[in-house]
Amino acid sequence: MSVWTRFRSWTAATLRSSRMEREMDEEMRFHIEAHAADLVKRGLTHQEALRQARLEFGGIETAKGDCREAVGVSFLETLLQDVRHGIRAMIRTPAFTAVAIIVLALGIGANTAIFSVVDAVLLRPLAYRDSGRLVTILMDGNGPVSPANYIDWRDQSKSLTSMGAADYWSPNLTGVDSPEHVAGLKVTQNLFPMLGIEPMLGRLFVEGEDKDGADREAILSYRLWQRRFSSDPNVLGRPIVLDGNAYLVVGVMPQAFHFPPFWATKSELWVPNALGARIHNRGGNSLRIFARMKDGVSLKQARAEIASITGRLEQQYPGTNRDVVVTPLKEKVVGPIETPLLVLLGAVAFVLLITCANVAHMLLARAATRQKEVAVRAALGARRGRIIRQFLTESILLGALGGAAGLLLAVVATRALIALSPENIPRVQTVSIDLRAALFLFSATILTSVGFGLAPALQASAVNVNDTLKEGGRGSCDGLRRNRLRSLLVVSEFALALMLLVGAGLMIRTFAALEAVDPGFNPHNVVSMIVSVAGSKEAEAGHRAIFYRQLIERVRSLPGVQAAGGINHLPLAGDLWGWRFAIEGRPKPRPGESPHAVYRMVTPGYFDALRLPLVRGRDVTEADNETAPGVVIINQRAAGEYWPGEDPIGRRICLDDDTTDPSSWVTIVGIAKNAKQDSWTDDATPEVYLAALQNRDFMGDSGSETSEHMTYITLVARTAGDSAAVASAMKEAAWSFDRNLAISQVVTMDGVVAEANAQPRFEMLLLTIFAAVAMVLATVGIYGVISYSASRRTHEIGVRMSLGASRSDVLLLVMRQGMWLVLAGSVTGIAGALVLSRLMAKLLYGVQPTDPTTFSVVALALGAVAFVAGYVPARRAMRIDPMAALRYE
Amino acid sequence: MEKQLDLLQGTLDMLILKAISLSPLHGYGILLRIQQISKERLEIQQGSLYPALYRLEHHGWISSEWGESENNRRARYYRLTAAGKRQLQSETERWNQMSAVISGILRATPEEL
Repeated sequence: MSVWTRFRSWTAATLRSSRMEREMDEEMRFHIEAHAADLVKRGLTHQEALRQARLEFGGIETAKGDCREAVGVSFLETLLQDVRHGIRAMIRTPAFTAVAIIVLALGIGANTAIFSVVDAVLLRPLAYRDSGRLVTILMDGNGPVSPANYIDWRDQSKSLTSMGAADYWSPNLTGVDSPEHVAGLKVTQNLFPMLGIEPMLGRLFVEGEDKDGADREAILSYRLWQRRFSSDPNVLGRPIVLDGNAYLVVGVMPQAFHFPPFWATKSELWVPNALGARIHNRGGNSLRIFARMKDGVSLKQARAEIASITGRLEQQYPGTNRDVVVTPLKEKVVGPIETPLLVLLGAVAFVLLITCANVAHMLLARAATRQKEVAVRAALGARRGRIIRQFLTESILLGALGGAAGLLLAVVATRALIALSPENIPRVQTVSIDLRAALFLFSATILTSVGFGLAPALQASAVNVNDTLKEGGRGSCDGLRRNRLRSLLVVSEFALALMLLVGAGLMIRTFAALEAVDPGFNPHNVVSMIVSVAGSKEAEAGHRAIFYRQLIERVRSLPGVQAAGGINHLPLAGDLWGWRFAIEGRPKPRPGESPHAVYRMVTPGYFDALRLPLVRGRDVTEADNETAPGVVIINQRAAGEYWPGEDPIGRRICLDDDTTDPSSWVTIVGIAKNAKQDSWTDDATPEVYLAALQNRDFMGDSGSETSEHMTYITLVARTAGDSAAVASAMKEAAWSFDRNLAISQVVTMDGVVAEANAQPRFEMLLLTIFAAVAMVLATVGIYGVISYSASRRTHEIGVRMSLGASRSDVLLLVMRQGMWLVLAGSVTGIAGALVLSRLMAKLLYGVQPTDPTTFSVVALALGAVAFVAGYVPARRAMRIDPMAALRYE
Repeated sequence: MEKQLDLLQGTLDMLILKAISLSPLHGYGILLRIQQISKERLEIQQGSLYPALYRLEHHGWISSEWGESENNRRARYYRLTAAGKRQLQSETERWNQMSAVISGILRATPEEL
């Protein structure tokens, strides 16, 4: 007895309802006994009557077997039978099975991977308590607000239970083995309790700690604790030095805690935010506001209340409370990535549909070759439902294998996606194939299996038994209906592939347009790094200017460096500070309507290093020092906006609110070409470049609040060759002054530009992969249809040729059918793409969603590929030997 | 007693349906009823009765439930379902047509041709 037979008898015994056996037994015994009783009445002895009754009944076991057969085998047993049959069919056609499984794994795996990203990034709530009730309050929904406004909103609002504020703060961490520039936040005391997250070690800030003087405490992120404090459980109470001041570690947050979830997302350290005297400051915007809505308060109510509060304040302090926007925190976090991810999800769903169509296709073709099998089964009494069920079982089996392979693929693909994804996708690190993704995969598998299996099953089961068996296997059922279904599949495959290709094409054009954008400077072979002097002796007033000069001088003398300079914030990679200014000789503008510009501070050599050309005037020089009159360079945009039709060179502006101090006025000496500021695609806004070396804030001897944020310089060097080698030499050059200098953000400008375009590149890459897969599948589809129909028409072709049809007639005959499908698919696809490409308008740059070039190139390319895919089998058909074809049965 | 006739192939189902259309019966009761109506002229393989019953029930033409027999014993009673009623009707019609045609053919004389 083989293992299989044993297994089968065991399952049969277990599965077959024991109840039926019992009842059958009882019923037949009753029959025999009742009969016997009747015979006893006719005068037989009990013994004799029973014997007679049994004899007349006949074989009990045979009867029972017939009963079992009549009822049919149990559901599970049928299933087992079908599965077994399916496995055998798969093993018999290994190539078919392998191709189907690979195609399905691609479709299901890719969908699961994208779903897991969408789920982790978009669908899940933020990891704070009741995070749906958290909102942000920002200027224009984006920019920071002033402390005085924050205090007023907090005190006047009734619909928000609590409101906290955060300032960006990246201090130098010293007092540990090597100094480091750490990204962090200054947060008001109520902020963490509002998020509802408990620390992993220690405590949160307690009330009173955000007052001046009591604010020297720090909470570490899990990563910082791990990285810099070797996960020391006794870290609590340990003193650390931040920007030269001693802080006590009071807590460590859990590993999963990330805050803030947008802007400054790399924060690893939090300290109390002592607003102090700043609570009266209504002009300096630096705070991001987080708030929790009271239970029962709707977003609309909260917005209305903030609008009325800010309306009142705006009247009181004009120009300070305009455009204040309340945004749900989650929307703020995932809003920018929502459309791209949904577009990708849609695209990958299309791939799955094409996959379905393709496998349905293959199954239809195979079903045609199985007509005889089906006819025999039908003739032997299998009902249609039973045959459909068997076909569906086979599909699901195929789907399940595809799904299993897809799971493996999804795990790999998810890792690749995380690695490839641009840094600005929030929460992408939390992406994983978890239970939800597995559930998605499971449902996708079942739906897919039924999707691709149903049509072939219905069609195969609708076989005409007599005809098929008479035809001797060739089958004449390959009639219009089956062809129509196959044609429909090819047309939809084609249309879907075309839509995906249009999407990919538009992204490629977008990316090309982005690559062609002129940033205003030459980003190649430029390396930069931030050198922070906070907490070091170089920070002291009087020392700093000398240090900066010497540092830049030493960098310039390094081998491989062609030019070097310094700036406060690197374009595209650094902060963006804006300020209002006054223009000499113009009337004082009304509040909120002052000229406004992004301001940067540069040292001599910066423009050369970046190859950012000056269109007029001169660069700042060493002569523009602390004692010389103040100079400034403006960008073209500022010149055009504030001095239209005038020559701004020689004019004076003042960047101080107090215009009475003559030393705060600076003279415009040059006009620089517009350079990108913080976004690759936005046009430059007005910008001014102050001479850093004559700026008292930058040199740390003004004692002002602003100067606290200016304890670092970004070195920029243009290199002749390998910038990595130069970067390490630059670091050594800085450390040769002082080992305690923190150096951070060592980047190349090329890297910065790549990062700025990382998201469109990511979208382009994925869409192109999807479109390529779609195109391959659609091509296989069209090839399959034409070669299949050509082979079914071999006989017909033979007849035509023997009646005088030329080879080109045959070629045309075979090709025509395929090309009609391609045409129909293209038209449908173009129509669909015209509608759908609008949805991805937000992803595009420099190209319209209905870009005619993209549409026509895609349609032509796909048509050409389809032509070749159809030509190959058509050519084969053309070469048919008419005699052989006529004999072909 | 006349010689018993073998049942024509495929007619047992029809007879069972007819038998229980008059009143619900258990298996042995069906046998008795058919023999009684046919005046014992039909030979029914008793053992073949049950597979037929199970098949009819599987098709949904009859349903069964356990009840008590005339001798106070547990017995399984079969009754006709609505689908079974229709089935019986169509089979009866088919049978009547068929038998009319066949007996017409068998009655045919040379003069009629």
